[in-house]
Amino acid sequence: MKDRLPQLLIPLALLGGLSWLSSAMVEADEFSARQLEQFEKQIRPLLLEQCAKCHGRDKQEGGLSLSTRESLLKGGDSGPALVPGKPAESLLIKAVDYLDEPKMPPTGKLPPEKIALLRQWIESGAAWPQNSSLGGGEQSPGDFRVTEKQKQWWAFQPIQDPAVPAVRNVDWPRNELDRFILGKLESAGLSPAPAADRIAWLRRVTYDLTGLPPTPEEVDAFVSDRTERAAEAVVERLLNSQAYGQHWARHWLDVVRYADYHDFNPKLRVASCEITEAWRYRDWVVDAFNRDLPFDQFIVHQIAGDRLPSPSGEEIYPDGLIATTFLSNGVWDRGDADKEKIVSDMADDNIAVIGKAFLGLTLECARCHDHKFDPIATEDYYGLAGIFYSSHILKELGTKGGEYNVNRVPLIGPTALAKRAEQEKRLADINAALAEQDRLHRLQELTAGGSPLVPSAVKSEAGAVAMVGDDAAILFSGNLAKDTYLLEAVVPDSIRVRYLRLEALPDAVLPAGGPGRADDGNFVVSRFSASFVPPDGKTESTPIKFVAAQADFEQANFAAKSSLDDDPKDGWAVSPQIGKPHVAVFEIASDTAIPAGSRLIVSIEQRHADKHALGKLRLSVAETLPTSAPPDTPQRRDLIANRDRLQQELSVPVPLAMAVTDGGTPGGLFPGIQDVPIHIRGSYARLGPVVPRRLPQFLAGENQTAIARGSGRPELAAWVASPHNPLTARVIVNRVWHWHFGEGLVRTPSNFGMLSEPPSHPELLDWLTTRFIEDGWSLKKLHQRIVSSATYRQSSRVSQQAFDVDPENKLIGRFAPRRLEAEAIRDTILLANGQLDPACGGPAGDDFTIRRRSLYVQTARWQRDSYANLFDAANPDASTERRVTSTVAPQALLLLNHPWVHEQARHFAERLERDVPQNDAERIGRAYQLLFGRRPNDVELAIAQAVVASGGWHDLAHVLLCSNELIYID
Amino acid sequence: MKTNAGSSRRQWLRQFGCGFGTLALADLLARESVAANSSDRAANPFAVLPPHFVPKARRIIFLYMPGGPSHVDLLDPKPRLEVDNGKPLPFEKPKLERTKTGNLLASPWKFARHGESGTEVSELLPGLASRIDDVCVIRSMVADNINHSGAALQMCTGEQAFSRPSMGSWLTYGLGTENQNLPGFVVVCPAPVFQGAQLWASSFLPSAYQGTLVRDLKEPIANLGGASAGTDRQRGKLDALKKLNELHRQNRAQNSQLDARISSFELAFQMQRAAPEAFDLSAETAATHKLYGTDRPESELFGRQCLLARRLVERGVRFVQLFDAPTNNVWDHHGGLRENLPKRCQAVDQPIAALLTDLKSRGLLEDTLVLWGGEFGRTPTAEGNNGREHHPFGFTMWLAGGGVRGGMTHGATDEFGWHSVENKVHVHDLHATILHLMGLDHERLTFRFGGRDYRLTDVHGTVVKEILA
Repeated sequence: MKDRLPQLLIPLALLGGLSWLSSAMVEADEFSARQLEQFEKQIRPLLLEQCAKCHGRDKQEGGLSLSTRESLLKGGDSGPALVPGKPAESLLIKAVDYLDEPKMPPTGKLPPEKIALLRQWIESGAAWPQNSSLGGGEQSPGDFRVTEKQKQWWAFQPIQDPAVPAVRNVDWPRNELDRFILGKLESAGLSPAPAADRIAWLRRVTYDLTGLPPTPEEVDAFVSDRTERAAEAVVERLLNSQAYGQHWARHWLDVVRYADYHDFNPKLRVASCEITEAWRYRDWVVDAFNRDLPFDQFIVHQIAGDRLPSPSGEEIYPDGLIATTFLSNGVWDRGDADKEKIVSDMADDNIAVIGKAFLGLTLECARCHDHKFDPIATEDYYGLAGIFYSSHILKELGTKGGEYNVNRVPLIGPTALAKRAEQEKRLADINAALAEQDRLHRLQELTAGGSPLVPSAVKSEAGAVAMVGDDAAILFSGNLAKDTYLLEAVVPDSIRVRYLRLEALPDAVLPAGGPGRADDGNFVVSRFSASFVPPDGKTESTPIKFVAAQADFEQANFAAKSSLDDDPKDGWAVSPQIGKPHVAVFEIASDTAIPAGSRLIVSIEQRHADKHALGKLRLSVAETLPTSAPPDTPQRRDLIANRDRLQQELSVPVPLAMAVTDGGTPGGLFPGIQDVPIHIRGSYARLGPVVPRRLPQFLAGENQTAIARGSGRPELAAWVASPHNPLTARVIVNRVWHWHFGEGLVRTPSNFGMLSEPPSHPELLDWLTTRFIEDGWSLKKLHQRIVSSATYRQSSRVSQQAFDVDPENKLIGRFAPRRLEAEAIRDTILLANGQLDPACGGPAGDDFTIRRRSLYVQTARWQRDSYANLFDAANPDASTERRVTSTVAPQALLLLNHPWVHEQARHFAERLERDVPQNDAERIGRAYQLLFGRRPNDVELAIAQAVVASGGWHDLAHVLLCSNELIYID
Repeated sequence: MKTNAGSSRRQWLRQFGCGFGTLALADLLARESVAANSSDRAANPFAVLPPHFVPKARRIIFLYMPGGPSHVDLLDPKPRLEVDNGKPLPFEKPKLERTKTGNLLASPWKFARHGESGTEVSELLPGLASRIDDVCVIRSMVADNINHSGAALQMCTGEQAFSRPSMGSWLTYGLGTENQNLPGFVVVCPAPVFQGAQLWASSFLPSAYQGTLVRDLKEPIANLGGASAGTDRQRGKLDALKKLNELHRQNRAQNSQLDARISSFELAFQMQRAAPEAFDLSAETAATHKLYGTDRPESELFGRQCLLARRLVERGVRFVQLFDAPTNNVWDHHGGLRENLPKRCQAVDQPIAALLTDLKSRGLLEDTLVLWGGEFGRTPTAEGNNGREHHPFGFTMWLAGGGVRGGMTHGATDEFGWHSVENKVHVHDLHATILHLMGLDHERLTFRFGGRDYRLTDVHGTVVKEILA
């Protein structure tokens, strides 16, 4: 559907721009969906390919046009081309059979199977969808019409409150629900299956509501509680357990294509575009199920939670923000160079998931053309699309070919954020004050003692003028360029020279007060070197080897040390500490001895840039440098205490959610709140008329209040979650039924449209839906109603004869056995051996070998070979309405050989030994109770004892963990 | 899986061997789609299913060069590029471009005609040149996406943006596989590539049909058990398990899944032996290793991959997809073309020639389809001074064996190697053709998901009849 239209591009080219569709088109309501599908798949392409060029809208050879059914019926010069039901009388068939003139197509006879298709099509009535011309093609607004059949479709009718039917066997029903089921069974002359035994029911309901098995203690308690209320109490206990939300959240996560990450490898995840906060949504869903958040509210939160006020009056409503991750955790190509396409794919993903999850409709089919089966026009689609083009999901459009940035919203309010900003500022101030104290202390130590060098000669290669003061400081002026200063001085004889010091000094005459001559007062000493000539007069000049350099302050990336290499780009500089004295100290290698009286020649290269010469400097030498901690003043202690406290307060990062807010995608074609044009054939490059943001017209009505402000998501949410919406409540009630029984009353839980199978028990669906709405959209009450029924209590084990009467169990005259889901298999093993970590929530673990519930093992979009995939977990690339159950050898291989399974077998064996230290038969009994909720019979006991005898308890544990009884539930 | 999976396969093969015509005829009009719901399928997703019509190929080896090999340097010679080297492209470029299009860049390599067919092949591929009479070169491929992720997804699944089942998944879903002891769809991809697992995903098809990924040739398949596999102790446990499962099955006769699972453990037990044997390259002679170039460091890895592919198809694996991926996207020559393209060719050329030679000498080439290519080609214009950009507008792939006419070229790009101009073959057409060769009508191999029937070719695809033998 969605992608079907491009095929029709070909005829468009052939036929030229056509706009057709006479309003007089024959009503074609009587055709079944299957017939229409056959037309779409076989007949339309054939006619387009073979006939349309000469018998289309533009050209009608022989007066014949094949562009509508009507025009075929009308025919051309030779008369009607088509007689529905009568291929032999249809000229179309005569022509393609080459029996008589004209022989069509003239280029060559069609292959026999194609002719057979045409014949078959005419014979079955020549189905042709209403409002559709052969070429499909450009639809202009107004072409779309809703058919009578669509108007009458059961799912679009208001929800009824049917009377509970009368039944003959009045003893069987446990509640009203049962009378709907029994009524149908009795009409078919059937009776329900006998009740399951108590243990089977308890295992069934416990797995069903929590994804875990009952413990042996729970089994004992229930089996021995013969009171009327025993079952009711169990259901209450289960619904109130944390495990309920964890299990049912997983069902919902399947429907909403939930993933924890794209990349399963934590090391390869790209922080900016990873969906790292997805888990908050998962935890919110668990919590929503556990506190039985009314389902209508649950919907509103997910579509427009960011626009909900905080129920407790706080500045922001974190749950509302988190819930919209429903929209942002979608499936679109993250690195697509075509960023505008991403935006249209995001809107499509959102429309698709809302349609499937809540409405049971394939809304996304109308992206490129009017929906082929359901009453949804392309205009309806773009009315909805405008809502999502006006929503802010990505931080910005991003660069071509680059990956996008997920928009993240803080989960603390403006006041808390402002407070945090203020704390951050205070911390920065304190750090600066401490750093300045440290610097001054260091300056003091680095300049302590020693003795200044009074220069005997100063030379500037660039020709600057040097003036030596009384304090041995040298002030430079005059020509300013890349420069090298050469200074000579005699080493004083009172000192053993270990350090050579370069002081950079401020002066009022320098720009910004110096010490440099650059406009901002900075300088860069790109290379500092020195040599000496001993006083003996014999030895030549010897270079001085420096082994280290430090300074009171070093500009970022301009350390004093970098002035010891030849690279002119870096060196020592001091911005932003301008207008202050600084010092760099160069340590001389220990094997270099400079005799007193030696002549020192110091070279200060300043080749970084034209202006970055030193303005005022002084050289000195020292033998030792004091090192001590900065003085411990009360003021300093205060600063440190404040710093530590602030750091502590700020150490918890601001919690973020991948929330959706109003506004479009910055940097794209749709950056704000706006209506969008129809994208012809789904392409943003071909835009049609603009459609106002609105809801689908047939479903939501013609007289909608215009969306005046914001994206329109609240309006959409209100309509979806309305008790008057004929789809939403029915869809969730049916899903819940599906998850309880393995099949829904409607067997296509995400599609209630014209292609779906109508409900097996329409009255029951409506009756349950009406109760559900009356109960305030409470899922827990719905569960109670279902699991306490006699229908749910039926045995799955029936005679072959009873099975054969209704092999598909359409009348629900028995319970359908099922295999546990991937999560439940793993959780059962962990629970039974006492290893299950009960911790709830938080980011998902990376590997299935962790000990937490499977809900908390990551689902990664790019991973296909996980444990969960192997056991048929939902593929997070699309909304999943039902999981398939496959049985393949790689599953058995994992259970046979994976080290994790062996480890679990060991844990289980150890637990058994702990629980029952002495008696082997008792210990085997314990194993059976833990895994299967029952005791073994004698045959089983004998088999188990034989395994223990040959391979020990580990082997028995392993065998039982692999057994069918563990994973198939009656 | 059913215990009788093997016998039903033999049964089918018998039927296939002698009565195929009848079968095909009866099937022709009646069959809507593969009988995915048949009870046999429910018990064993890999049970062999009859194709729609007589297949020419029974198995496929897809040699995938991730990154996009340069067609104008390998298989689509363009003398005009030498004439106009350094000049701008003399016509308006497509709107879709990633970086500013540079000037035309002549191929640094020489082409010569080879074989009886006289197909022109670059000097970089002497091995392929020696087998060129078995090869059908399609020079007019077109794809729709200019990025690796979208284009690779399209090449492997037919769809650029959304998750869809991969080619191998469709084929194993449609046909099953002939060796129940081995996976039906094996992917050998030593390093992660763009889009990774999506390229061999089953998507909405049951997960059983997803490609089995082999990263490390030394440990090809997970959970084969190593030393504990096949021991008496393991057999003893399996026997006990079977006894317990059979007791459990009593009174639950209608649940066929219980039987299927009992069988799956037996099958797993067999696989433990069969899979290591299939993956054990040391069983091959030194001469064979030399043929595949596993003795030379530059071609060792892909040589081993090719040799493994032969062993797998020989044993009935339906679809083998090899990625030349010592690291990610090694064929993505934005720069360093002159150095790196020869390196890639040295890595794959001898192994590929060996694979074709070996398949042929074993009589496997006639019903094994070998397919070579990447997600797109590269621009005839330069990126920088020693590279080429992504290019989906006209590029080259080749096919050999399995019902394809050898020694031919099909289609052409314009004189600059830019646009595909003659007998365009879209990726959808290639897919339709591949399915056709495997005996499947691409319009009838469907799966219903979310309210519609999906196909590998979406709503497109025309079988390229000209290349069929």
